[in-house]
Amino acid sequence: MDIQRLREQIERIDTLPTVPVILKKLLGVIENPKVSLNEISNFISSDQVLTTRILKMVNSSIYGFPGRIYSVNQALILLGLNAVKGMLLSVSIFDAMKKTMMGLWEHSVGCAITARKIAQRKGFKEPEEVSIAALLHDIGKVILGLKFPEEYKNLIIDAEAQKIFIFEAEKNHFSVEHADAGEWITHKWNFPKNLVEVIKYHHKPDLSKNVPVQTAIVHIADILVRARGFGFAGDNFVPAINNSAWQTIDLSETDIKEILEETEELLEQAEDALLSE
Amino acid sequence: MNNIIKEISLPKILVDIDSLSPGMKLVKPVVNKAGMILLGEGTLITGVIIERLNSMGVNNVYIEGPSKPQKTIEEVMLEIDERFRKTENEPYMYLLKRLIKKHIEGLYNK
Repeated sequence: MDIQRLREQIERIDTLPTVPVILKKLLGVIENPKVSLNEISNFISSDQVLTTRILKMVNSSIYGFPGRIYSVNQALILLGLNAVKGMLLSVSIFDAMKKTMMGLWEHSVGCAITARKIAQRKGFKEPEEVSIAALLHDIGKVILGLKFPEEYKNLIIDAEAQKIFIFEAEKNHFSVEHADAGEWITHKWNFPKNLVEVIKYHHKPDLSKNVPVQTAIVHIADILVRARGFGFAGDNFVPAINNSAWQTIDLSETDIKEILEETEELLEQAEDALLSE
Repeated sequence: MNNIIKEISLPKILVDIDSLSPGMKLVKPVVNKAGMILLGEGTLITGVIIERLNSMGVNNVYIEGPSKPQKTIEEVMLEIDERFRKTENEPYMYLLKRLIKKHIEGLYNK
């Protein structure tokens, strides 16, 4: 398929009946680039499911805030506008994510926790934002799965049969991969620029101009979680580490060992906290 | 689908009611919004139970994952070798593989 045509189709994905209603409502709010924290707060509070999910998420081990967070406003102040927009997107596509690929949610949560651990260890100033970007880095897979459900299921089967990476299977079929689809859609939907850039370059972090450190962290978190074998991201192989990302983040053997240990403990807690409805 | 989810290492997995089938086993109780237990842990799923869960508006439940009974450490190590097969000669990947193996060994020796 022609790439431009594919992009147009993907950018119109919000018109599909299979797209969650809550996501459509969210897009109506996010559309305005000047949307205030107050408006976002009102929007969240107007929806019971959204409120519950947001509170569950900020209280989960993905973030590890000390003490309990009881209100949406409290969550917004701790997270900031950019992180909240990303978090809203992730809770709105949660069900679609589980349907697209069994294990993708677990993979994404694993990346979010690992990314936060790396960010904190390296003294990065906004660990929540990195963590949200990690949670959403594979949104392109969900988007391709929503737009082309049968084809995407077959791509997962093809990747397994041919022993190739899922992004290779995607490229063979669509000429583009999920990182492209993820960039297109988050850009179209006016999500924060930093988030769009991390999603776009999570396989090629050395190309990120504005957020090279965030992108490198998410890239490495993705690889660590795949190496650990937690969740499922579309294939059973560990991708190679990008040289410059590795040098940017500069983790020692002890760092990696401790990140793996700390993440291990948090993973199961996160599952329990987030998934029980 | 089973071969696709085999990499999930936790024995617990969450499934949608749509993908639930008879013979699966609950690993966590199903609780309604009021906190009342509808089905206890260990309940074996049947067609009738799926219908009832559906009618009560339950969206998803935890079932026993495919990795139970737990894999032996040798099996897990072979899986790690397989996962790294394509990239282990790339920079840092051998180091990463060694650290992952050490980490997994640590989990088994706990």
